[in-house]
Amino acid sequence: MAETTGQFSAIWRLVTSERRRYVLAFGALLVGTLLIYLIPLVPQAVLDVALGSEPEKASGISRTVIDWMGGPQLVADQLWIPGLLIGVIAICAGTCVHFRQRFAAIAAQNIAVKLRSRIYDHVQRLPCRTMERQESGDLLQRCTSDVDTVVLFLSEQMMMIGRATAMILVPLPLLFAIDWRMSLVSMTLMTPIAMFSFIFFKRMRENFLEKDRAEGRLTATVNENLNGIRVVRSFARQSFEEERFDDRNATHRDLDNRLYVLMSRFWSLSDLLCFAQQGLVLGFGLWWLTQGSLEVGAFYFFISAVSMFLWPVRMSGRILAELGKALVAIGRISEILDKPVESEPEHPVEPEQLDGSLTFEGVHLNHGDLPVLAGMDFTIAPGETVALVGPAGSGKTTIVDLLLRLHDVDEGRILLGDVPIDRMRRDFIRSRIAVVMQQPFLYSRSIGDNIAITQPGLEQDAIETAAIEACIHESIRTFDQGYETVVGERGLTLSGGQRQRVAIARALVQRPSILVLDDALSAVDTHTEADILEAIERRRGRHTTILIAHRLSTLQKADRVLVIEEGRITQEGRHADLIRQDGLYRRIWAIQGGREGGAA
Amino acid sequence: MSTHFYSDDERSGSIDLRLWWNFLRHLKPYRRWAFAMCGFGFALAIVESLIPPLTGWMIDEAITNGATEDLLMMGIAFAVMMVFFALFVWIFILSAGRLATGVAYDLRKGCFERLQELPFSFFDVRPTGWLVSRVTSDCSKVSDRMPWVLLDLFWGSTMLVGICTAMMLIDTGLALWTMAIVPPLVIATWFFKRKMLASSRNMRRTNSAITASFSESIAGVRTTKSLNREARNLEEFGTMAGEMHAHSMRNALQAAVFLPIVAMLGSMGVGLALWQGGIRLEEGTGLSIGMLIAFMEYAILFSMPIQELAARLADLQSAQAAAERVQGLLEEVPEIRDGEEVTIRIEEQATRPRPGRASDGGDPEVDTLEYRGIGFHYKPEEPVLDDFNLRISKGETIALVGPTGGGKSTIANLAARFYEPITGKLLINGVDYRERSLEWWQSQFGIVQQVPHLFSGSIRENIRYGRLAASDEEVEDAARRAGAHDFIERLDGGYEHDVGEGGELLSTGQRQLVSLARALLADPQVFIMDEATSSIDTETETLIQGAIDEILGGRISFVIAHRLSTIRHADRILFIADGRIVESGTHESLLEAGGRYAELCAGQFTASDS
Repeated sequence: MAETTGQFSAIWRLVTSERRRYVLAFGALLVGTLLIYLIPLVPQAVLDVALGSEPEKASGISRTVIDWMGGPQLVADQLWIPGLLIGVIAICAGTCVHFRQRFAAIAAQNIAVKLRSRIYDHVQRLPCRTMERQESGDLLQRCTSDVDTVVLFLSEQMMMIGRATAMILVPLPLLFAIDWRMSLVSMTLMTPIAMFSFIFFKRMRENFLEKDRAEGRLTATVNENLNGIRVVRSFARQSFEEERFDDRNATHRDLDNRLYVLMSRFWSLSDLLCFAQQGLVLGFGLWWLTQGSLEVGAFYFFISAVSMFLWPVRMSGRILAELGKALVAIGRISEILDKPVESEPEHPVEPEQLDGSLTFEGVHLNHGDLPVLAGMDFTIAPGETVALVGPAGSGKTTIVDLLLRLHDVDEGRILLGDVPIDRMRRDFIRSRIAVVMQQPFLYSRSIGDNIAITQPGLEQDAIETAAIEACIHESIRTFDQGYETVVGERGLTLSGGQRQRVAIARALVQRPSILVLDDALSAVDTHTEADILEAIERRRGRHTTILIAHRLSTLQKADRVLVIEEGRITQEGRHADLIRQDGLYRRIWAIQGGREGGAA
Repeated sequence: MSTHFYSDDERSGSIDLRLWWNFLRHLKPYRRWAFAMCGFGFALAIVESLIPPLTGWMIDEAITNGATEDLLMMGIAFAVMMVFFALFVWIFILSAGRLATGVAYDLRKGCFERLQELPFSFFDVRPTGWLVSRVTSDCSKVSDRMPWVLLDLFWGSTMLVGICTAMMLIDTGLALWTMAIVPPLVIATWFFKRKMLASSRNMRRTNSAITASFSESIAGVRTTKSLNREARNLEEFGTMAGEMHAHSMRNALQAAVFLPIVAMLGSMGVGLALWQGGIRLEEGTGLSIGMLIAFMEYAILFSMPIQELAARLADLQSAQAAAERVQGLLEEVPEIRDGEEVTIRIEEQATRPRPGRASDGGDPEVDTLEYRGIGFHYKPEEPVLDDFNLRISKGETIALVGPTGGGKSTIANLAARFYEPITGKLLINGVDYRERSLEWWQSQFGIVQQVPHLFSGSIRENIRYGRLAASDEEVEDAARRAGAHDFIERLDGGYEHDVGEGGELLSTGQRQLVSLARALLADPQVFIMDEATSSIDTETETLIQGAIDEILGGRISFVIAHRLSTIRHADRILFIADGRIVESGTHESLLEAGGRYAELCAGQFTASDS
């Protein structure tokens, strides 16, 4: 809870922690820019002073440069000297550019590595509630491409801003010292060019966002089509799908094309404006040249200088657009970092061992205004096997979430042994309770690694023992690479039943105090189910078992059944007792064939 | 991270000219734009390489003759040239845009349509995400780059030739001096671009691993928390972020060496031109001051086309893998498709429709479906079905039970021709189904799956997917019959409620009800329920039993289920194990026989217990 404010500045703090490198980078930038403008100064001096017919008319700077090289005579005789000087300046300027980029890159990449890890850490510790409210695609984008945007800004665009500013400001004194009239002429169209650039990149950005959204819709369409390919085929809706795709595809094409149209306008018009600017320099320069009030060397200098600073002026709009993008990305990342993470008790109690008993005392939980649990009271003894049954939405899975502290109760309390769970650390609770969900999540790595995920380095024997108990060993052996087969997102797709059984093996490896199977056998056939339950039965006494299930064959394996309806326990007892009572359990039993079993 | 089945690796091999040459045919519909683009790129390069000597000429004219009329005319000509220059730029970007977006559109369309035809065996071994990026990012990667590669090949080489020619014409000796910077420029560019290509490839690869890792941490949040994986995940992520750091640094440092070298070489060209040109100027060998200035400008200009050409070659190389994959997908021949004869018959029926016939001119009714001696396997070493025989008539419901992997779903998939038998035949009214239209046959099916897929959009749209022309009343009627109406009415917005991506905003049970309604609306001749009621609680299932009976009645139906309450009303129950029918009969007769089915029932119905 302590980390709720000032995350925006947390990113800023990351930047300032690299401030020494940024200062060095900016220093190198300034020196480098100055050196770059010195290069055309050398030919200017040579043309006007050493080779010129009227050296006395040359600017003071030109004469200083020539004097520095050893005087007009020497330079005129030994023309390799200015050539070499240009080479030396170029090497120094190049070195500055190198260091500018080097320092900026080191700083930015250091920040990047810290920022990425920090976000990853934060996201992992966000409460489930927060995660459920986040659209996962959006969250992923904040964690990845938004970070990329920020890093790109810190490593390149920030220096680009500095460079553009320096390119325009640094030469000003030099220009004015050489010829103030030409300086003014050189800058006539700067403002219109910059404004044009700014307006264009703003519009470009709006259009780009629109194209981006169209691309997103296009991707979503393909994705949905492929995920639902069985549905498409079984209704033979290919042409319908093709039409739908074509529609989006065409929209995307047109929006993309609009970007090109905008670009073509910008580049041609800004080319024209830049030419006009260069034309002005050329025209006035030539005019003053014929009047004898401008030297040819100085004229050369202005032609070179204008072409050097026109580029940053022309790109200024783009730089501002990138700045805007980076600020938005920083804001979006900060929103994630601002969300509070799961809190831990200040003085956690850590019992040596849990005996596997648990108690719910008057537990209430609301989801919005709707009550999910409305006064849940029950106790489970150590080593007991208890089944939970009830209609969808009755609150069975919520009980598991509360037990793991994925959610917190609104009212009442939950005890493990005799300790309230909010007095214990979450990682302690979670290491003692193993849960297998109906649609288990497997990590994209080998099956062996998945089973041993809580105990890295577990021996192969132990992994296989768990797999045998979960009745998945035989299936794994048929895979090409056995336990080394990669599953999940980037590997083999397992069937629902196979996934459930791998997850059961994973849970068994954990050696928990409490084992929860949350409808975790729904995709497994009854025969296999019986084998798995038998294996669990053999471990009796080592842990408490909670079975959430619809099937009678599962339910009757339990010592006790809790019937849950609308967030409350409505019936409780052994299978044999419950089928004699009027109620949900008997109805389920009757529907599933109990009557034919002989009772009716 | 060990082996990946399908990775997005780019290969670093040399440029495959044949592949790109073949790819050029995709430009055909846009060839006018392509020619326009190249033509204007060519013109642009000529104009650009003429600017320095023209400027030089004007300087000379101004110095020697003052403000002459010639100078004014030249100035005007110069201005006109610039206007044309801007015009050329406008046209060639416009053409490049038409080309890039048009080709992207065509490639996507082609890929998507091909994906609609490919059989399931194609999808079984390829992750969806991998296929999606073929249609989206690969297509744009290739199409975005092609016009620029074409353009810069023309523009860049013209520019290089133009600059060299102009310099040689002005002063051959000085030209050779200034061009001394070209070999180091080419070598440096070639050397660094190659290295940077490799490091940026590593960067992208690591970056997608980072994305995958984030994606996993978001999707698996509950699992990660319940398994206490946070610290170890973070550690692994840290390693990956460190790798990213190393690759990015390498790339940035390469750029930090390369770019200054290019700039430096340009400046050195200026120095060389000044030194040698100054000597010529002093000696009065005919080189004017204006031309000397032109040479100094050329020295700077040189690096541009060389860099552009190198960048485009690098683009070509990095887009090569994408191009190969797109081409591969476009050339993939669907294994399951209509034969020639069938195609001809479909055309005949379309041009001269015979009333009361299906779209391929065959019998529109499905009276019997027969599996005759069918053998099938996904992998040759693991046979799934072996000499499987079964005959089903209209109005019959067949339940398939048996252990996982016994071949139940395969039997249904073969019926729908999602796969074709390897040996044996499937007969529709006695005719091999390969002699019927694939589209007609598949549109006779209604399939409800264990984890049904819904499309994002409203519930109404999803149900209507079963019959696109259905009215709102018909949609609601179907929902009512499937027992879905009540829960739909309770949702926010009722039938307009958005189901989310893949239907994720609904529970599995609700999705099953919606897909049941969808199938009911379609009113198919063959119906398959594959574990379709596993997530519907027992009570609801009883409520919709009437709907299920209605769906199953009057057509050929297959029911695959673990829960026996779903299947005991079937006309025939087949116990399938190891690809064979082990037992066959009604619920009662099989119970009496006391075989494996009876054993299965005992497990579930707890007959002994009560």
